[in-house]
Amino acid sequence: MLVLRFYMQISSKELILLIAIITFIFLIAPLFLIIYIFLYNKKKAKHLEEKEVLKKTFELELLKSQVEVQEHILQTIAGDLHDNIGQLLSLTSMTLSSIKADHLREEKINTAAELTHRAIKELRQLSKKMNGQELIKKSLGHAIAYELDWLKKGLAYEIQFTDNTTHSISAHADKELIMFRLFQEILSNILKHAQATRIKITIDQTKDYLSLFVQDNGKGFILADKLEAGDGLGLGNLQKRTSMMDGNFTINSTPGKGTDIQVSIPYQ
Amino acid sequence: MHAFFTVNTVTELICLLISVICLYKDKNVYWRSFMLYLLMVCIVEMVGISLRLEHKPNYALYTWFLVIECTMISCFFYHLYRKYHHKPGQLYSWLGLFILVFLLELFTNHFSNFASKTAAFMSVVFVIASLYYYVLILKDEHFRKLETYPPFWIVNGVLFFYFGSTACNVFFDYLLQEKAHSLSLSTRYVTFNILNVLLYSCWSYAFICRYRQRN
Repeated sequence: MLVLRFYMQISSKELILLIAIITFIFLIAPLFLIIYIFLYNKKKAKHLEEKEVLKKTFELELLKSQVEVQEHILQTIAGDLHDNIGQLLSLTSMTLSSIKADHLREEKINTAAELTHRAIKELRQLSKKMNGQELIKKSLGHAIAYELDWLKKGLAYEIQFTDNTTHSISAHADKELIMFRLFQEILSNILKHAQATRIKITIDQTKDYLSLFVQDNGKGFILADKLEAGDGLGLGNLQKRTSMMDGNFTINSTPGKGTDIQVSIPYQ
Repeated sequence: MHAFFTVNTVTELICLLISVICLYKDKNVYWRSFMLYLLMVCIVEMVGISLRLEHKPNYALYTWFLVIECTMISCFFYHLYRKYHHKPGQLYSWLGLFILVFLLELFTNHFSNFASKTAAFMSVVFVIASLYYYVLILKDEHFRKLETYPPFWIVNGVLFFYFGSTACNVFFDYLLQEKAHSLSLSTRYVTFNILNVLLYSCWSYAFICRYRQRN
């Protein structure tokens, strides 16, 4: 009834015009709604991007703290080994050398003194190896060479090390230390899993980058399979630490032929 | 012959062609059913025109086509909502309600007119369904690039068409009155031409996006 009365009050021409206007408004409204959804979606994208950046920054900060704490602990243990146990062993060595005994006992005491002397030497080397900051003081190349000397002593590996670095930048000592720890982890992986006989290590320095290249002739693996099986051999950790320094981490492995790993970090 | 090629039919035919090219190899049955639906739209439109040319009423054809239209769009909305854990019971309830309203109107007007009230009711429900889909998209934490997101463009087309046709549906009885027949016919005709172009443009774009994302 209301509609009929409404019809009667206005002419048909006016009503049709009204319908046309209503339809036009009904078309404009969804248009604005869609524009609003687009804008909101863009805002959402920006928000998600920011959230992702924050998450990444937080993860990197966490990793940085972990590395710092780890370094600190290693340094403390290295210090304790050197200062306490080292001192005790030195005292033992001195005590042994001061004992005056008969011919039969002297031989045994000399053997004990020699063993103690070797233990002191080993302990010093271990302590030095653990104290990365101390080791890296000279240069990254020197630290790697020291690590390889340690390796050459015990195991039968054909090791080739090339140091193409020209100079150390003291401001980047932390980066060098992390690079050195990465090298230690890569080397440890090779010793544990690769069954290699030959290891080739190269460090290069360009104007902007410091690169470490490690190649072995071990059994190799299929990277995708390892990652899928969650058995990443600490590759994820290596990758994370590299990205912490805004660097690039690449790995190529062929089953039966070996593995190449390259780590490059900005260094200018 | 040229009477068969109006703005509506040409738009529908182009959309059908795009759907066949883009969705022929699509694995999703809901998307593939658009080809069949658009084919039926084109056939109904052609039969409707030929009946009109023979001066026979064609409202029965369009009235019964409402059932197919409602089923297709409702099923597609169900497919979209399914991602957000909606149950099939809601779809069956809605389709049951629609059939009830549809039959009630047919019996009320003794099968002698187009079921315009059911069409208006269906339009309102589809507008609400489209708006609800937008709410789900906005609430979803997963980000989607809406510029090229096919379901979004299907829903945009549906919203434009059913929201825009509300005024025409509400005043349908008046627009059929003889007094204003010629003027109202042109108003309705132009309105539905614009709405159809909008609907099928959005759908065609959605099909192209779907095709490009599949390949």
